[in-house]
Amino acid sequence: MNWTPAPRRSSAMRREQNLALVGAVVSGAVIATGLLLLLVARVNPDAGARMRGVVLDVVTPVWSVVRAPFDGVGRGLDWAGDYFGAVSRNRRLEAELAAARTGLQRAGADAQKLKQLERLAQVRDPQRTLVATARIVNATSGSVVRSAMIAAGTGDGVVPGQPVIGADGLIGRTVEAGRHAARVLLLTDPASRIPVIVVRTGQPGLAIGANRPQLELRDRVGADLPLLAGDRLVTSGDGGIFPPGIPVGTIIDPRRDPPPVRPAATPVGAAYVMVEAAYLGLPTDTSAPASRAPVPIEARRSGAKAPALPSPAAALQP
Amino acid sequence: MNAAERRRYWWGHWRLAVPGGVTLLLLLLTTAPILVPVPVFPLLAPLAIFVWATFQPGLMPPWLAFGLGVIADLLFGQPIGVNATLFAATAGFVRLFEARYGHHGPKADWRFDWGMAAGMIIIFELATWQLMGLAGQPVPLLPLGWQVLTSVAAYPIVAQICAWTQRRAFGEPLVP
Repeated sequence: MNWTPAPRRSSAMRREQNLALVGAVVSGAVIATGLLLLLVARVNPDAGARMRGVVLDVVTPVWSVVRAPFDGVGRGLDWAGDYFGAVSRNRRLEAELAAARTGLQRAGADAQKLKQLERLAQVRDPQRTLVATARIVNATSGSVVRSAMIAAGTGDGVVPGQPVIGADGLIGRTVEAGRHAARVLLLTDPASRIPVIVVRTGQPGLAIGANRPQLELRDRVGADLPLLAGDRLVTSGDGGIFPPGIPVGTIIDPRRDPPPVRPAATPVGAAYVMVEAAYLGLPTDTSAPASRAPVPIEARRSGAKAPALPSPAAALQP
Repeated sequence: MNAAERRRYWWGHWRLAVPGGVTLLLLLLTTAPILVPVPVFPLLAPLAIFVWATFQPGLMPPWLAFGLGVIADLLFGQPIGVNATLFAATAGFVRLFEARYGHHGPKADWRFDWGMAAGMIIIFELATWQLMGLAGQPVPLLPLGWQVLTSVAAYPIVAQICAWTQRRAFGEPLVP
């Protein structure tokens, strides 16, 4: 038997090879951990909410300070721009005002009539409540998620699931909140679904973001009734988060399917936004519903309690 | 070893944090208040990880990239794990590639680097699209094309920033 002796590895070489092996194992483990976290996020999207809030709180003040000089420059440019073309704009606005006055009078009469009818029908409208007014501080411009951070958090009463409204219309809704900052999911994010109605026809639908400048109008009830370019969409109040009547956008091309919608408000210039309480908040009553299912006599004798959560079949029984 | 020497010894380790720190700064820059409806801002952090993994392979290991990725997920409001996986995979890919085809010295052709970075960005975006779907937040694929274009265009700038930092922190490369 003539075995070739195994080449003797020096200890330095052996150490290097061991280190390389450990490195490869750690790399694989790290990537596997990432995928595992992904699956956790799929099962439980709210995982790590506290950590997200902390990160928001850390990053937002930094950007508040950094963006201040840019805001100043932008405001100066705005002022300068206002002086140019002021005369022509004034004339145009006066013409518009004259046209709008008649409409305004009619609307006033309508509002009066509506108030009377509501009193007659005893309509109870939930009130809109302003929670906070805050400024948009930074955004996730480098990510597939379209969101912006505002400088108001749980300390100001902002919690996830509240509508965020700008001067021109809807901006989005809050999805995460830290102590002093919150994240707003913008209308253009693919996860955003806004229940809207077409003002002219009254058809309900959903305005869905697609990571593009325009939204898409989907799931419109009564799709055989044609839309027109320029049809306005406002929130319908369905779903309980967004109050009804907030401008969402305008149909720009009714022939396409789904029809694209230009958002009414863009967060680009919207320095300040309003955060309102959810229009119809989720019920906070967490007491367990009492069971009306009959308890067997044997169970009553042995002192057993009725089940806390009745099955639907049991609840149906008288 | 007196107190001053000891202090100097411990503070001398700041260079270890340079690659991670630069990447973290670029990551924060990606949350700039530029509100555009299309994901158009370049992927600075993955590019920086790519560049640092070739410049300083020991100081940009996959586990550090993983940590940066978790921070990125928290910052961007993405499901935790999307960027964590992809950042770590980027660093791991560079490491594997260099182990297979040899270390990429400072004298290498920059056009090759740029091409590799472009391929990395395209695969990164495709994987982001897939992983976002896996995490239950599907995103449309086509708008990501803009980000591929800007990221490929931003590669030389990121490489310049990292190279400048590298020269300031670690000195000129020893290879002639």
